[in-house]
Amino acid sequence: MYADTQNDITRQVVRAAQLLLAYGAESDLVEEISQRLGQALGLASVELSISSNSLVLTSLVHGRCITTTRRIREHGINMTIVCELQRICLLAEKGLYGPNEVRKRLARIEPKSYPPSLVVFMIGLSCASFCHLFNGDLISCVITFFAAAVGMSVRLAIAKRHFNLLINFAVTAFVTSMLAQTGYVFELSETPKAAMAASVLMLVPGFPMINAISDMVKGHMNVGISRWGHATLLTVSSVIGITIAMQIGGIFL
Amino acid sequence: MMELLITLLHDAFFSAIPAVGFAMVFNVPKRFLPYCAIAGAIGHSSRTLMLQFGLPIEWATFAAAAIVGIITIGFGKRHLAPPLMYAVAAIIPMIPGTYAFNTVIALVQLTAQSQVSPELTAQVISNGLKTVFILGALAVGLAMPSLLYFRTRPVIQ
Repeated sequence: MYADTQNDITRQVVRAAQLLLAYGAESDLVEEISQRLGQALGLASVELSISSNSLVLTSLVHGRCITTTRRIREHGINMTIVCELQRICLLAEKGLYGPNEVRKRLARIEPKSYPPSLVVFMIGLSCASFCHLFNGDLISCVITFFAAAVGMSVRLAIAKRHFNLLINFAVTAFVTSMLAQTGYVFELSETPKAAMAASVLMLVPGFPMINAISDMVKGHMNVGISRWGHATLLTVSSVIGITIAMQIGGIFL
Repeated sequence: MMELLITLLHDAFFSAIPAVGFAMVFNVPKRFLPYCAIAGAIGHSSRTLMLQFGLPIEWATFAAAAIVGIITIGFGKRHLAPPLMYAVAAIIPMIPGTYAFNTVIALVQLTAQSQVSPELTAQVISNGLKTVFILGALAVGLAMPSLLYFRTRPVIQ
């Protein structure tokens, strides 16, 4: 293999690893996919070192090493892209894809998401079912639906303007709790607490938390701890939003 | 017996909705959404079943999360997709929302008071511990299949 070819393949592999990390895959999966992809494309070995916001990858062929570093910027969770990359890796492993096809397909990857109105509706419905599971009555479920739907549209609107995620979570939690406590303020429902608890559940940082534990138990300690820290910060900022809303509502104080 | 079945079906239905909703937030491809719903429904209703038999909620959650882990590995193998994609959406209905919320309320009240009241402190500690342990059970239970069974080989090959 020529040095140019190795260079090119290494770039494809590091691009795949970078996309996986940016769109929220766990470290074990990133390591596995990039090693398998590299070996399928003809590299002798691929080693990588992942930290919280960057990635170092070394490829080895004929005793010649190429090391490259990439910065990782979080783009939010997008499982469609992770799925796509997994598929590319498997296709390359089966010998159906060579370096050129992999490059073409990697260049085509674009984050697609569901239409915002559909997501808003579904999240409203989800939080209403949470409220139902917490033994809330019908009126509190309706309140939850509207509070969560409005909160989700606020969250999407803020995310579109590229604000910091922590600010986004605090503002969303504030708006959602303000709306959810109407059940308390106007004494509409018997179980106003269920509505307040259920409507802010859309802010649970599920993926960062599960990824964090998954990374830590599988031996990627530093990435796991940084993800854990991120999840904790997100939770704390939503708690701040909820607290401010409660103090303005003046129910618990 | 009939009542139990109805409770379980009710539970399964109302936990399938959040599983799909959160799967959409995570941008799971459309063709995999029904599988997220199935995994979520099985996870939450199996936890309800175990709670009916008098298991403490932490252990029930742990076992339910392990079941979700096994199911989603099956899905992942079938569709050649990462299992965590289904699993995270599926365990969202089991997140201890009320415990977490009670902890926060008690903390806020505790902060606002000039002296420490034993009732509020007890509330913070008991609800907080429940929250932490249920969350830990969820995350570790989910990782169980790959820790015990897929130790040396990749899940999808």
